[in-house]
Order: sequence, then structure tokens, then C-alpha cells
Amino acid sequence: MTAKARPDPLIHPITRLSICGLLAAGADWVEFAALRDAAGISDSVLSKQSRVLEDAGYVEVRKGAVGRRPRTWFRLTAEGRQAVQGHLAWLAQLEETFTASTRDVQQARPLAGDRDQPRRVLPPLLGST
Amino acid sequence: MRDLARDPTALEQLRVQRGRLADRIRAPWWYLAGIAFLWALVFAAPFGSRYLPRGVSPFPLILAVALPLACLLYWGQARATGIKTGFRNLSYRPARPAGIAMLVVSIAANGTETSLIRRDLLAAAIVVAALAVAAEVAAQQALLRAIRQDLRAGGGAA
Repeated sequence: MTAKARPDPLIHPITRLSICGLLAAGADWVEFAALRDAAGISDSVLSKQSRVLEDAGYVEVRKGAVGRRPRTWFRLTAEGRQAVQGHLAWLAQLEETFTASTRDVQQARPLAGDRDQPRRVLPPLLGST
Repeated sequence: MRDLARDPTALEQLRVQRGRLADRIRAPWWYLAGIAFLWALVFAAPFGSRYLPRGVSPFPLILAVALPLACLLYWGQARATGIKTGFRNLSYRPARPAGIAMLVVSIAANGTETSLIRRDLLAAAIVVAALAVAAEVAAQQALLRAIRQDLRAGGGAA
């Protein structure tokens, strides 16, 4: 991955992360219903959040119609793709740190009946103060 | 909205959602039938060269039918799945094995057919063409499978 790992406040909320993460998965364009079903969100939530992402220049929206049925397609812009990759890299780092911390906690926990085991000083979890 | 900064399950949830999106990329029966017809046209070219009048090439005719059909199949599949995958050439790594297999099969089958037709072994040439069509359909399915796996893995996004 070439993108620099950094959080993006616009993609940070879970719904927007789902939308952007799905659009960044490798498809060229994704249709409204496919995106809604994959993300497990409602029509109105997808409409609202996609508009926010479109206004920010992260998502490109193409509207068309098949017969009388309207069809809306989404895809990430270059700027959006870069932001998503950076945010996902940051999340992956966070996950790694969290997993390592959890492993340390489990290793440091004394076994039942093993009261004499020395206690380890644990590093603070990321984000906790 | 739920804050994600302290939620290590966010990426796991995204993986599940990507899996759901990837599962949509399935080839409907008419898509595979259309692909088979498309390749049958390609493998009918050596027969056309033999039986069409001299100076008439079968390739413009095949191209005139195959190109709109390929576009129609692409459009139909995008409409059925809700996902446009775009044109994947050999530079797209996950699809490379299937792409190379398609290329090798088409060149080998066309060469073999031409050679068999020259020796008047028509039945053998038809068998080769039928086998080549089956191999191309299998390669197309492998290509879709590769795209599906790439979507599930995040396509390099994460």
C-alpha cells in the first residue's frame, strides 16, 4: 500500500467508512442497491451519506434510468481513493496495536493458583488515557 | 454516529461487507451462454475461411456480431449484479492466469482447427472448437472468481 496511514474525519463514521471501503474494494462502479445491501444500510442513510461524500469530492455519482426505474451508480474519485487507503491503513495499524495489547494482557494475566507470578507492566491501550 | 477510533471490529465488519459485495459477482446462465456463443463465433472463423468465397474474410462479420454482443453481455451483467468491474487486461494481476489461459487456448485452438480443416478432418476440427469453447467458458468463470476474491480482499485498498 502506498497511501500514508492517517485518519480522515470525513470517512471516520462507520456508515461512510462502509460506503468508501466498499467502493475502494476494486469495482469500477457500484449501483445504489448493491451498495445499500452490502453495507446493510437503508436507502435514506445511503442517500444522505453519499451526498456528504460527493460534496467532499470523494465520490462520483452517475444517475441514469433503465426504462422508468432510476439507477444511481457510485465510484470513488482519485482523491477519495487516496483518503480511504490512508484511513484504512491507519485503522489496520490501530487493529494491530489493539491485537498486540490484548495479547500482552492475556499473557500477563496470572494463571489460577499461580499467585507468585510477577506482574507485568502493560502498555496503555491506544486511545485510552 | 458510532465512533470508530476505539473499535477494532470496524475492519472486520468491512471485510464482511466486502464479502457480501463480492458474492454478487456471479455469472447468470445467460451470461455464460452468451460467452460460449461469443467464443463459438471466434472458433468458427477457420471454418469460414475455408467455406466462404475467396477474398471474403470472416473476421469483419464475426467482429460485427461479437463486439455488440460482448457490450450487451457486459451491460447485462453490470445490471444484474449492480457492479461494473471495468475491462480487465493482463496488467490486472488476479485475472492474469485466466487471461493467459484464454489467450493460449484461442491461439492453439485456431491453429489446430486450421491445420485439421486443411487435411479435411472436419469432425476433429469441430471437436477441437467445442473443447476450446468449453475451456474459454471455464477460463471466464475463473476470471470472475479471481475478481470476486480480489473484491473480498479489498483490491489493494486494505
